[in-house]
Amino acid sequence: MKKVLIIDTKAGNLFSLQAAIERLGFLSTIEETPSNEQYDAIVIPGQGRFGTVMKNIIANGWDEYLNDARKTNLPIFGICVGMQIFFEASDEDPGIAGLAWFKGQAQALDFPKKPMVGWANLTSNVWPNAKVYFVNSYAVKASEYSIANTTYGEQFCAAVKNGNFIGVQFHPEKSSQQGSEIIAMALNQSLKEGVTDDAV
Amino acid sequence: MQFNDPKNDLMPRIIVCLDVDKGRVVKGTNFKQLRDMGDPIELALAYEAQGADELVFLDISASNERRPTALKLVTDIAKNLSIPFTVGGGLKKLDDVKAFLDAGADKVALNTTAILKPEIINQTAVAYGSQCVVVAIDVDKQGDDLGVYINGGRDRVENQFFSWTKEVAERGAGEILLTAMHKDGTGSGFDTQLTNQVSEQVPVQVIASGGAKNEQHFYDAFKNGADACLAAGMFHSGEYTVGQVKQYLSNKGLKVR
Repeated sequence: MKKVLIIDTKAGNLFSLQAAIERLGFLSTIEETPSNEQYDAIVIPGQGRFGTVMKNIIANGWDEYLNDARKTNLPIFGICVGMQIFFEASDEDPGIAGLAWFKGQAQALDFPKKPMVGWANLTSNVWPNAKVYFVNSYAVKASEYSIANTTYGEQFCAAVKNGNFIGVQFHPEKSSQQGSEIIAMALNQSLKEGVTDDAV
Repeated sequence: MQFNDPKNDLMPRIIVCLDVDKGRVVKGTNFKQLRDMGDPIELALAYEAQGADELVFLDISASNERRPTALKLVTDIAKNLSIPFTVGGGLKKLDDVKAFLDAGADKVALNTTAILKPEIINQTAVAYGSQCVVVAIDVDKQGDDLGVYINGGRDRVENQFFSWTKEVAERGAGEILLTAMHKDGTGSGFDTQLTNQVSEQVPVQVIASGGAKNEQHFYDAFKNGADACLAAGMFHSGEYTVGQVKQYLSNKGLKVR
């Protein structure tokens, strides 16, 4: 049975996410600090603020752990703020650097009603017509690694993929059956589409 | 919500409300008699399967002595359900709010407590984010008078309706659950005019509640600015499934999940 590491960034409860992962037949462990345990996939959940999550990542040494994992074939799956930290920064907390695996930064959504709350359709070749649940006030407008987009005021990047790491701005653990399929694809790395850099 | 706005991919949401008492879903026939409707998790999963976009559990937390049981139920719901859910009723202080969010609720609905201690809206938004805070407003319209009520509709407060809707948004509410008491139980549809006024004036999502009896009522509310609609009776009675209402909306040209 595949073992999944869920990184606890102390930004919200993980009950739904862990249950969703286990319903798919994975074993899962929630860890606050890195260990020597071997895992088959890593999940970075993300509720809360960019700065809070990023500070927690650095304080516990997860940045080093993730930068090492990135060089392997281990699937790494970032959710919401867990995806935003793949980028360089966020306007939510200026001055705090992200992991910078992707160029760009999260910006405030430009729409009168904030936060964006609810189900939206994805524009995507990977998940055509998928309807998933979003809760966010910030998003990355565009990325060359985007595999799905959604519009709220302006179009933004709903999912990114480069080789073994995938990030989604929406909440697959709250997106019913569709979300479950997306989690399975991300953790099994069965998603062949998207851009893959040879030299990471 | 503007219909099929090219700048907004969000779809109108249908939210089913479940009243919980002593760990069971109940339906009040009058104030004294509660009819048992079933197990909360079984019903929640059935509504998820019907296509409900979210669920709201009310009064789950109403009594202090049953708090540990209520928290365990919330965690069980979080582990079983894969759509978002809100809990409300009886959350009197920030510690209550924290306990239920930490137990797995995606959002809390604050009504009486928001009026009595409005700073709890700010505190919850700062600690957990605006997306966790739904402020429920019970309003009764009689002629031109708009009365704001607390304690389950029993007591009128001095708050002016429109300024209160703006204040909760400024304090950090992520959504407003607008219950039109004058529509509740009438089956004459949501108060579309009031929904529209709030939706145009306040920069947060508005959930219309009170008065729904058929699928057209949902269409009318979405057409008039509702971002989401909440109903209970018409679904619990089995008269309609959420899927049937969504099919109707889809046939009328609305994008729904």
